[in-house]
Amino acid sequence: MAEVRLNKVRKAYGAQVAVHGVDLHIRDGEFVVFLGPSGCGKSTTLRMIAGLEEITTGTIEIGGRDVTRLEPKDRNIAMVFQNYALYPHKTIYENLAFGLRMRRMDKAEIDRRVKSASAMLGLDPYLERKPKQLSGGQMQRVALGRALVRDPDVFLLDEPLSNLDAKLRVRMREEIARLHQEVGTSMVYVTHDQVEAMTLANRILIMRDGHVQQVGAPLEVYDRPANLFVAGFIGSPEMNLIEGHLERGALKAGGLSIELPPGIAAAEGTPLVLGVRPEHIGVGEAPGAHAFHVAVIEQLGAQTLCIGEVAGVRLRVLMDRTDAVRNGTTLPIQFRPGRLHVFSKETGARINRADADVGRRPAA
Amino acid sequence: MSSKATIYSFLFLGLAVTALLIVAPVVYAVSLSFYQMDSFVGAPKWAGLDNYTRMLSQWVFWRALINGFIYSFGTIIFQVVLGIGFALVLNQVFPGRNIVRGLSILPYLLPTVVVVLTFKWMVDGSIGVLTTMMSALGLPQVQWFESPGAAMASVILVSVWMWTPFVTTTFLAALQTVPSSLYEAAKVDGTNAVQRFFHITLPMLKPILTVIVLLRAVWMFNKFDVIWLLTQGGPVGATEHLAILSYKQAFGQFDIGGGAAVATISFAILSLVVFIYFRLFPLDTE
Repeated sequence: MAEVRLNKVRKAYGAQVAVHGVDLHIRDGEFVVFLGPSGCGKSTTLRMIAGLEEITTGTIEIGGRDVTRLEPKDRNIAMVFQNYALYPHKTIYENLAFGLRMRRMDKAEIDRRVKSASAMLGLDPYLERKPKQLSGGQMQRVALGRALVRDPDVFLLDEPLSNLDAKLRVRMREEIARLHQEVGTSMVYVTHDQVEAMTLANRILIMRDGHVQQVGAPLEVYDRPANLFVAGFIGSPEMNLIEGHLERGALKAGGLSIELPPGIAAAEGTPLVLGVRPEHIGVGEAPGAHAFHVAVIEQLGAQTLCIGEVAGVRLRVLMDRTDAVRNGTTLPIQFRPGRLHVFSKETGARINRADADVGRRPAA
Repeated sequence: MSSKATIYSFLFLGLAVTALLIVAPVVYAVSLSFYQMDSFVGAPKWAGLDNYTRMLSQWVFWRALINGFIYSFGTIIFQVVLGIGFALVLNQVFPGRNIVRGLSILPYLLPTVVVVLTFKWMVDGSIGVLTTMMSALGLPQVQWFESPGAAMASVILVSVWMWTPFVTTTFLAALQTVPSSLYEAAKVDGTNAVQRFFHITLPMLKPILTVIVLLRAVWMFNKFDVIWLLTQGGPVGATEHLAILSYKQAFGQFDIGGGAAVATISFAILSLVVFIYFRLFPLDTE
């Protein structure tokens, strides 16, 4: 168990910079998820922590020890790979024991640790099998077990669930969460799946093009996305982003005028982007309601997603499940100032302050 | 034509070609070994197992058999060890790698006769580059084809030189199928480079290694051209193996039955070796 510190960690391949300087302090026992689209530098950052990728500049500390120039084996980390990376010619038992054998651990202790990890992950029936005789989910559990037996300072997981089917992914997600609770070791987890990030993380680090966009608790990044990229990336269905300009405390976009929350520090006429989550648009008659013309309906089961337009602006509205809405229906909707996210169109940065109302469920 | 008829027609064609080009000559050669013949035109005389007893009772046969094993083992061991070594080097990232990879296959592309002549020039007693270099270094003159040990070393050396590129290329291709994540997992697991070779590389190469050793064994055991062009089996039979003996017997001494008997025994030995080999190293384990 240990904390991990990344100090201005940068990675460049020649002139091409893959990671532009990451500063991060992962607390002891914390579960941090690196989230971002492919090629954003999240895996590279993880691999730099592992020592599988050289660091161009910056330093990495694990448990207060500078490991920047150390080999992976000397960092006391364990890693779970996307394609499991199990040794195909070794049995499951040998796969689990290999890292311990290489460290010349006592045989009885190896056996104790392998048995304990195997029991924890339900691998007992498979110990004598070869990896190719296991299913994808079982192989991923072996890969987790291989990390677990090592009792490392930190677990590094590189998209561990992306080779699994949707149902298994949910189950393994729960298993990883349970594992983290039981062992309490710091975990760094890379994924491009925001649901995995939201459900597993204590904190999420969102990256794009090698730059850190935001670091925060899952609900924090959901409630207060730091910029347009995070706003669009976190949340499903995606946040509505409406382009317009500031006019007397409201956003003007086409024929639409939406009252903004107070405290927008921008000059009259400034181009802005307004973000509003589909689930935060109120539906029902109220003073100042806008007419929303539904064009497409997507039934999601518990909820209904309506896609359409309001005064020429395209919009997605998520409401509790209803059968009453049809294509062509016009619904009265309202934007609540407390649930709006305002971004500068020029820089993409968030410009409205925190608001106590943001993120809470609307009153029924 | 129905699909079944199509399948059978292809099957029949394949079988017919196999029968014509492989089964028939083998059967013919085996049948020759039971006759006494001094030419392919004269009438053969039934000889039963005489050819076999006669050949098996001669020292030259056993010497040729032992020479065959020495030559095969020698060439295979060096080809495989060097082949893996070169493949590991060529699998690394370095400037000009593609050019070196291309050049490394070159000896395999040359006709055997060119390789053999090149070697003969290199070791020529008066103008050979190897001879000159060795005398410049103060090393004793080697009689490459005159002493039995050196002659065997020469045929092994030339064979290794010529066919190591094939082994290298095959292993290089196999190495590229080993997922890099296995090496990374092993690095995290605390291995050094040597341990990674024995725990990852070698086991991952095992299927291809099994096939390569077998193929090289069969090819080298039957290899004729290199030895014939270099030494013709000499000096005094020091590099004469079963294929050379069979040829000399049939076409040198016009003992076609004896030559066929040697070829048949060679065929039987190889079949037995292949059978045992597959029992020891089944292909379907990994």
